[in-house]
Parts: sequence; C-alpha cells; structure tokens
Amino acid sequence: MRRLIVLLILLGASALVRLLGEPGSGAQWLMTFGFLILGAYSVGELVSRIGLPKIIGYLAAGFVFGPRVLGVVTSDAAHRLAPVSGLAIALIAFLAGAELRWSEVRSRGPTIAKLLGAEITVTFVLLAGATALFGDALPFIRASGGLAELAAFSLLFASIAVVHSPAVTMALLSETRAEGPVARTTLGVVLVSDVAVVLLFSGALALARVLAPPSGLDATGSTVGAVIWEIAGAAIVGAALGALVALYLRFLKQELFLFALVMAFLGSLLARALHVEVLLTLLTAGFVAENVSPREIGDGFRHAMERAATPVFVVFFALAGAELSPASIAASWTFVIPIVVLRIVGIRVGTWLGGRWASAPVEGRYVWMGLVSQAGVAIGLASAVAQAYPERGVAMRDVFFAVIAVNELLGPILFRVGLTRAGEIGALPQSETTEAVAH
Amino acid sequence: MRDSLLLLAVVVGSYLAAHVIFERFAKRFALVSGAEYLVLGVVLGPQATGVLTPDTIESFQPLITLGLGWIGALVGARFVLSVLVRTPAIRYRIAISEAAVTMVATGGCAYLVGARLVGLPDEIALLVAAGLALTSLPASSAGLEVVEQGTAARDPVVRQVSVSTQMLAGIASAGLALLFALVHDSPTSLPRRLVPTEWFVVTIAIGLVGGLLFHLFVGDERKADRVFVSLAGVIVLVSGAASSLRLSPVFAAMVFGVILGNSRTNRTVMLTALARVERPFYFALLIFAGALWEVPAPAALPIAAAVLLVRPLARVGGGGLAARANAAVDELGPGWGRALIGHGGFALILAMDYLLQGTLPEGGLVFATVVGSMILTDVGSVRVLQSVRVFR
Repeated sequence: MRRLIVLLILLGASALVRLLGEPGSGAQWLMTFGFLILGAYSVGELVSRIGLPKIIGYLAAGFVFGPRVLGVVTSDAAHRLAPVSGLAIALIAFLAGAELRWSEVRSRGPTIAKLLGAEITVTFVLLAGATALFGDALPFIRASGGLAELAAFSLLFASIAVVHSPAVTMALLSETRAEGPVARTTLGVVLVSDVAVVLLFSGALALARVLAPPSGLDATGSTVGAVIWEIAGAAIVGAALGALVALYLRFLKQELFLFALVMAFLGSLLARALHVEVLLTLLTAGFVAENVSPREIGDGFRHAMERAATPVFVVFFALAGAELSPASIAASWTFVIPIVVLRIVGIRVGTWLGGRWASAPVEGRYVWMGLVSQAGVAIGLASAVAQAYPERGVAMRDVFFAVIAVNELLGPILFRVGLTRAGEIGALPQSETTEAVAH
Repeated sequence: MRDSLLLLAVVVGSYLAAHVIFERFAKRFALVSGAEYLVLGVVLGPQATGVLTPDTIESFQPLITLGLGWIGALVGARFVLSVLVRTPAIRYRIAISEAAVTMVATGGCAYLVGARLVGLPDEIALLVAAGLALTSLPASSAGLEVVEQGTAARDPVVRQVSVSTQMLAGIASAGLALLFALVHDSPTSLPRRLVPTEWFVVTIAIGLVGGLLFHLFVGDERKADRVFVSLAGVIVLVSGAASSLRLSPVFAAMVFGVILGNSRTNRTVMLTALARVERPFYFALLIFAGALWEVPAPAALPIAAAVLLVRPLARVGGGGLAARANAAVDELGPGWGRALIGHGGFALILAMDYLLQGTLPEGGLVFATVVGSMILTDVGSVRVLQSVRVFR
C-alpha cells in the first residue's frame, strides 16, 4: 500500500511540476532521473511481493512511465539520460570483472570452461544456422544481399544472441541470497562468458565488415590490425586502468564512492577515444583492480562501486523498459518466439553436454536456467551493430529488443526456479549480500 | 567526447595532486582545505587554460544542481529541533543581530555603489545588493570542524560561532529562495499569475513532498544502502523539480534536510548516508565553481571591491555590536565577529544557485565576488577562530 502511495504522490508531483514549469527546461531530466529512481524502485518492490524479480518491476515501470504509456518520462528525457545507460554498462563490466577472483577461476575453471564452451558453441551454431536457413523471414536480411551478406548478418545475430546478463545473474543471487554449486557456477559462466562473447562479437563484427562493408558511424576499423588492437588494446588499457585503481586503493583510499563512478566513466571514455572494446576494457580493469589489491581493500572498493551503481542500475533498466515497443514485439512474435525457444534449446543442450563433459551433473541440470536472461550488454552490442549498419542494423536491434524483452521477463523467473530446485536459495546470511545489486 | 575525457583526466589528476600536496600543508599549518580546488577550477576554466569550455560546463549543469541540492539537504539536516530548543536564546539574539548588521552594511554599501557610482537602475541595484547581502552572510564552518574535535567545544565563542554559522546558512538560503520567488515569472499556461508568496510556498512544498516521499519510501528500513538509494532519489527529484521551476534547489533540499534531521527513526543511518558523499560533491562543486568564475565587467568592479572590503568590517563591527547589545562582551570579547570572516563553501553554493538559475541580475558579479571573498578569507579561518578564543 505504501509503495502505491509513493507512486501516486510521484505521479501527482510530476504532473504539478510540469504544469508550473516551462516546457523543455534542462533540469527536467534531472527530475525524471529522480522520479525513475524512486518510481522504478517502488515498482520493483511491488513485484517482488508477488515473487517476481525486481528487475521486471524496473522494466515494467520504465515501460508504464515511458513515452508509450503515461509519458512521464518523455522521449527527450530518455535521450538525455542515455549517458546513464553508458555508465551502467561500464559499471556492469567493471563489477563483472571485479567479481572474478583469480583463485576461484582456477578452482572452478575447468567446469566453467567446459560448460561455457559447449553452451556457447551449440547456441551460436544453432542460431547462426537457423538465421542463415530462415533469413527470408527476418527483417534485417535482404533477399538481394547475397550469400556474403547473409553470412555476415547471421554471424552478427548469433554472436549477440549468445550474450548473457551478469547484472541479472548477480542481482538474482543477491536478492535470493543463494549459495551453492549451481549459483557459483552460473555466476562464473556468466562472468567468463562476458569476455568470450565480447571477443566473439568483435570477431564477428570484423568479419561482417569484410563481408558486408558498413555505411554507418562505426564504419572505420575494418582491417585485421584494427580488430586486433580493439581486443588486445582493451586488455592493455584495462590492465593499466585496473593498476591505477589498485594504486589509488593502496595509497589514498579516499572518496571511494566518487572514485568508483569517475573510474567507470573515465574507462568508457578512454576506451572509446582509443578505439578499444569498452566492455573488455572495463572487465579487465575490474579484474586487475580486484585481484591486485589486498582482498579487504578490493572488496571495499567493489562495495563502494555497487553502492554508486544502485541508482544507476535502477534507472538503466527502467530506461530499457521505456524503449520497449509492444507494437513491434506483437508484430514480430512470429519470429521472436522461435528465436527465444531456439536459444533456450541451444543453452539447455549446450549446458547438458558441458555438464557431462565436466562430470558435473547438478550444474549440467540447472545452470541453463540462469543463462536465459539478457539485458544491458546485449542491448549495447545490438546498438553497436545499429551504429555500423544504420538500416539493417537498426532492424536487427529492434528484433533484439523484442527478444531481450522476452528473455528479460523469462530469465529471472527461470533462474529463481533453478535455484529453488537446486535448494540453494537463502543459503547466504543477510549481511553478506548487498542491496546494491539486489535488482 | 575528447573534451569530456580530457576534462575528467585533468580533474582527477589535479584533484589527486591538490589533495596530496595541500592537505598535508592544511594539517600541518591549520589551514582550511577547499580554496585550492576553487583556484584549480579557475585555472582549468575558460578564463585561464580553457580545458573546461563553457559547453562542457553547461553539459555538467545537472550534476552541479544535484550537488547544490545535496549540500542544501546536509545543511538542513543539522537543524535538529531538540538541539535548537536547548540552545540559550541569547545565542540566537546575538546571531540574528550580527546577521542584520552584516546584511545591512554589505547590502547598503553594494546598493549605494551600484546605484550611485556604477549607475545601475534602482531595481537592478536593489536586487544585486540583496543578492550580495544574502551571499555575504554565510560563514565558514571549517574552523569549527577542527576546533570542535578538541576540548574547546564548550568554549562560549565556539558555541556562539556554531549557532551563528547555522543561523546564517538558514537565513541566507531562505532569503535567496524568497528573492527567486520575488522575480519569478508565471508560465502563460496558468489561468492566473502566481504571486511571490505562492512561489515561495511551492519551494517549501517541494522539500516537504520530498520528506514525505522519503519516509513513505524508507519506512523502518535500516539498511544503509537502501537508505542511500532513497536519499539519492529524493534529493535528485527535489533538486531537479526546484531547478526546473527556476526556484532554489538549495532551499528546497534544505527543507527536506530539516525533515530528515528531525526524523525519529534511523536518523543516524540517514545522516551517515547523506554525509558519505558530501566531500566528493563539495570538491567537485568547488572545481566547477572555479571554472564558472569570470572576471566581472570593469564597471561592476567597484561593487565587488566594496563588498569585499565592507564584509569583514561588518562582521567584526556587527559581532561587537551584537555582543554589546546583549551584554555578552565579557563572555565573547568585542572582536569575536572575526571568527565569522571566513566565507565558507555554503556561500559559494548559494552564489552558484544565484548564477545558475539565471533569473536574478548580475549573477556573474555576485558569483565572482563570493569566489574572491572565499579565496581571500577561507584558508585561514581555523587560525582566526583559534586567535579569537585566545585573545578575547
């Protein structure tokens, strides 16, 4: 009841400010930012009462408050808040890297590698093959494009379709306080897969640039050298950034909250300026910073970053919700649903094979349920394709928005079911989780 | 993008350098850290190296507005009713008398110079004088923060300076909000024009609604992270709403802060969460404030010079008069007002508010005057407070 009152007051206050203010005032998007933090957070808590993950609430709030329904969040405000999404993706990548402790990767490494290797291979081949076979039905494949174009877009599509969501996984684990082999392995797979999919996507994009030369903003850098730099450079720049963070943590340790935000922002700007892969840069930076620093200092910084990230993540997911178009989802359900089903089949078969290969039957049975979610990283990669290929890339991005919307709704529910069946929910004490990722 | 990257890199590098070098000096020689960030901002800004271009600063304006609101909320949270009622009435009488003298002296002087010497139209000169008088009021609390850590907290001068600093911040902030309300234009879409009182009430209402939302949102929650999200959300909302209506985000957030400071449940958790980001915001605001600084037009310089000259004199004279009028000279000494000369960051916050809302005249002049005053007076405020205690 209290949450509903909060929402009513927020909506009333927002309407009043719009009535009293001049339209187009620059500070209005700041108010929208605050509105989304409180509004989306409240809706997140409302849906968590009925057993749904909070992220679904954030997305639903974004959709309802967004330009297509209530219009409290205007298209202009959503556009002005775009840097928040960029910052959120940078924070997600940095936190994902920071979650990877080298000792844990070593101990659980073989299981993770086998599960991930099998899962990505099966899903990628299945989706690339299906796209190539039934490309005529997809809006981003031109009938007159020829075989090279068909191959290019099939590879790009499959390389984005295999992406998982570290944010959703971490959020669900934090929210459910789950602990056990399925929880840890799923987290490991999702985090390591970030590195793998970023590499895979960079390779696919490079190949696509050769097969079907792009015409958009991101049309440069199609040489092999540029692709190598994009990936190797990201590792170098990320390692340097991570070392800087570690130095700061060792000698200064002050204003961690602001430092965390600034570093994420700086990392993404630096990566773009140096034409290296943003996600890989931040992922490497997080990994180096966490593993080079003493454990308690690194953890302190990670918690500061999680704290700084909380409102950013709430708004990020709400903005993603505001972008959802039910009309385009409804129009494309004939191929969106088969894609979602095929992807789930690929993940299920891949993890089953991986589980057998790694002699980890429990993980092989339940981990797939934690790999269905897709969110920020997938949206980011789809947007990168849209930048490179302004026409067909945008069509592909719209298809992905619909696919991601379904996966975003389905994924957290499935993961919760998987953790429940594995008996791992609530195994961690309250104090070991942070609210920062509880969404 | 390259501008933003360069800006961020330079700000981070300079911040670290200033932080490492100056804070060591500050601790050793009892100097107040803060003005160095302001100077750094001036150096990086369009007036010097141009690393921060006007467009870049403009793009960061929402962040500045948020910082103003955050500091406003923090200052408001220090108005705790249970503490205020226990404070002897004489402290308030002295604080208000001193404030009245300082306001009349600086405002009167600014008006006379502006209207008679510079030739500003009467209405403009009055508004500028009011703005300068209000932004002249706040005093630095940095000295108190150092002295109150020791045994001197019970010293009458320290207690008087503490009460005065708080009252001055409240009066100045409310006065500025009133000034914004006074010159506010109503949107054409409304059936009738809103009067200044109504705009002032709207400013207060924004803060009150923020407080209500916060309490409904947080409930009995004690988890610091959850409280932080709620705080961040409400302060962003309150600052954004006030600023988008061209009202004072500082005062609206201060009203919210007062509600926060007087909450029965979770006050400590809330105040800790609120104070957690004070320093980063404050330093970032100082750097941006320095970058926003512009040399006033030569014609307006006499007004700035007059205020810079009169304010310290008014502080000392006003303090002495207030002590005499309230028979407290023996307790405080005739020159206790010197302890209020340090201008402090809150004055700068108000001056930024004045400048950024853009509804009051000569924002650049008012802002430049406060920046100059802060650079001149803030560094030594700890030493001044110590000397006032010793030599009274």
